[in-house]
Amino acid sequence: MYEVQSYHLNQGAVELPACMYKVENFHGSTVDAENGDESPELLNLESRQTDILNRLYELKAVVDGLSKTVLTPDADLDVTEINHACSEPTIRTAISLDSVLGKNSGALRDIVINANPSEVPLSLLVLHNLLSEQYRVLSSVHVHSSVQNVPSQLWNCLGKRSICRSRREYQLGFTLVWKEVLKPQMKFSIQSMCSIEGEGNIARFLFALLGHKYDVVTSTQIDSWVDIAIFQLKKGSSKEKAAVLRSLNSALGKSPWVVGVDLTLADVVLYCVLLEMGFEDIPANIQRWVKCCENLACFNLALKPLK
Amino acid sequence: MTKGEAVGVPEDQAQSKKAAKKLQKEAEKAAKKAEKQAKLAAENQADEEDFAKDKYGILPMIQSQEKLDRVLVHVKNLTEDKADQMVWLRARVHTSRAKGKQCFLVLRQQQFNIQGLVAVGDHVSKQMVKFAANISKESIVDVEGYVRKVEQKVESCSQCDVELHIVKLFVVSAAEPRLPLQLDDAIRPETGDEEGRATVNQDTRLDNRIIDLRTMTSQSIFRLQSGVCQLFRETLIKKEFVEVQTPKIISAASEGGANVFTVSYFKTSAYLAQSPQLYKQMCICADFDKVFCIGPVFRAEDSNTHRHLTEFVGLDIEMAFNYHYHEVVTEIADTLVQIFKGLRDRFQTEIQTVGKQYPCEPFKFLEPTLRLEYLEAVAMLREAGVEMGDEEDLSTPNEKLLGRLVKEKYDTDFYILDKYPLAVRPFYTMPDPHDPKYSNSYDMFMRGEEILSGAQRIHDPQVLTDRALQLGIDIEKIKSYIDSFRFGAPPHAGGGIGLERVTMLYLGLHNVRQTSMFPRDPKRLTP
Repeated sequence: MYEVQSYHLNQGAVELPACMYKVENFHGSTVDAENGDESPELLNLESRQTDILNRLYELKAVVDGLSKTVLTPDADLDVTEINHACSEPTIRTAISLDSVLGKNSGALRDIVINANPSEVPLSLLVLHNLLSEQYRVLSSVHVHSSVQNVPSQLWNCLGKRSICRSRREYQLGFTLVWKEVLKPQMKFSIQSMCSIEGEGNIARFLFALLGHKYDVVTSTQIDSWVDIAIFQLKKGSSKEKAAVLRSLNSALGKSPWVVGVDLTLADVVLYCVLLEMGFEDIPANIQRWVKCCENLACFNLALKPLK
Repeated sequence: MTKGEAVGVPEDQAQSKKAAKKLQKEAEKAAKKAEKQAKLAAENQADEEDFAKDKYGILPMIQSQEKLDRVLVHVKNLTEDKADQMVWLRARVHTSRAKGKQCFLVLRQQQFNIQGLVAVGDHVSKQMVKFAANISKESIVDVEGYVRKVEQKVESCSQCDVELHIVKLFVVSAAEPRLPLQLDDAIRPETGDEEGRATVNQDTRLDNRIIDLRTMTSQSIFRLQSGVCQLFRETLIKKEFVEVQTPKIISAASEGGANVFTVSYFKTSAYLAQSPQLYKQMCICADFDKVFCIGPVFRAEDSNTHRHLTEFVGLDIEMAFNYHYHEVVTEIADTLVQIFKGLRDRFQTEIQTVGKQYPCEPFKFLEPTLRLEYLEAVAMLREAGVEMGDEEDLSTPNEKLLGRLVKEKYDTDFYILDKYPLAVRPFYTMPDPHDPKYSNSYDMFMRGEEILSGAQRIHDPQVLTDRALQLGIDIEKIKSYIDSFRFGAPPHAGGGIGLERVTMLYLGLHNVRQTSMFPRDPKRLTP
């Protein structure tokens, strides 16, 4: 019925091995290695080393470039891209939500955040944008019946959402509910977690979903900055605020971002708190840093509609 | 027991002595009483001529003999700013309490009441006070009096800042002295039984429905229910819907055959409509685009549960959409949200009145309404330890549990559950294009109980026939239904709500019979 061409050339009989597995002569190879310097293993090792060195050089170049853009306020470059390029091979492991949040239940993992419309948690909006850059996020805004007359820009503060796709296709749900609450609160997995209260704590959780890994010192520094931002800068007296601004200024004198050479949660929270206070009489280093933040798309997109 | 112990050992003697004393005392008392009565009679005879004779009495039956130029003020309007005015009003005697030379009446009109006072004085004679005290409860009276401010608030009345000093009092319609149930018992909160006071059970209430309906709670419930209907209409008409009326006597069962009432119809038999489903869809095919209808719906299910009635009022919506059935879902959900908002804003006093007897958290909702998918719900339930299959239908306990889980996470009493498994829905439900196991159907829940069930309907006659055949439905019986889609039918979806259920769940009541004026269930046909 069908004519099929022979798929192997008829070049004499194929020699089949007599034993089950064919193994190279072990003794013979050691003798070879002793004799010749250019064994395949050694070559392999050599090439891997040059590879690593090359990557290190590349990295160095990227970091140099990055510090340049960060230190020049008017750089039009979108820093996130470079940022990612540099951080991807080193810090960030290839992560999925499963590795961060554990088992997958097969349904949408929905993060519910209750916030009071009179006190918009700006940092969470920025983090929402950061999450949407990395995952397929289904974001929705609701108004709880306990509040009335929510301004229209808060109704669509998470941007436009596509309606028609099935909820199953998203990796993460981000449900923001404007509600009469004293503190922002987050509810995620109601069976195993109690609700998390406070903008800072929610921000930490959301940032952790991005999968950055820090050493103990760095992560403690970040935590400490978040606390400072929420408790001293936001709610403190003018004296405390001035002290925070001083220490922030000196920190930004040493490194491009608040903690190290990367954008961290500390930057997000501090920027948002400063934005609420208004950028009046702030020291030079902070001013430069503010401009850097504003260059990033995630800040821009999240906060512009609210101004 | 304690008394006996206190008295001590010499029982017999003491008792006999005591008994003798008692007898003597009683005799004295009786003598005194007789004397007093004789005196009273003499007194009564003395001022036989009553100066207030024409200021009270029983009015002849009102047969529209004359048209009086008299303004009857509503009790709810009697407030401080009417103080010291002379007003007429017609009300029921809620309670009367005579105390010497004065008699306190609580006059009730619908869910409002005011304290009235008949006291002997320039206008009021003793006989009039006596007459006032003898009016039976629930009688209707016409009253003239002065509105007076009170020093201390009258806590027991809705008009607590004023009372009425009555000068004229006429009975318009007298009630029989014995009532089958006491209104005060009927409005006592169920939680207050630590005092050991009587409450009225559901069946007694329903047997004497007209008296039960007079209670402040019932008055508020049905005023709010009327509000639900009104808001439903208002919202939909604003959205350019058309109200339609559909027949209730139909020739074939629309949803499955089992639970329909059969009525004899001349020489054949007919059925009472289980839902206006078919006719709503026909209206869509007849280019009405957006229709709704409010009318009775009959279910012959022999289930005696707290949420089933055999006749209830259905609020049904059907709407043609452009490309996606979520257009309809959002429209329906928005309608319900508008109803909730309207109730919250316009019926606050009614909600509070009901809350006094049946305490309940205020109804919470999100705007736009929360929409979850069936798969998510199953995942939530599984996480909570419920074992169920992906395509299994929600059982009532699971439904309630899911309601609690959703409430805990999202803090809403109202949500939509979308994408039900196709297997658990009727044959006319449109399958999901991406996953044939699921369907474009949805339920809406209030306080964890289903109030609306809807779906995108199949508008293609071929697909509809196929689905019916798959489910083993006799094509001949539903021929007219399928035929209505043959001449061009727009894609459409809809749903139906039970008015009683919405009212019940909004107010957090426990039984649907409380929100049905004259409930019908397998065991009740009267009143």
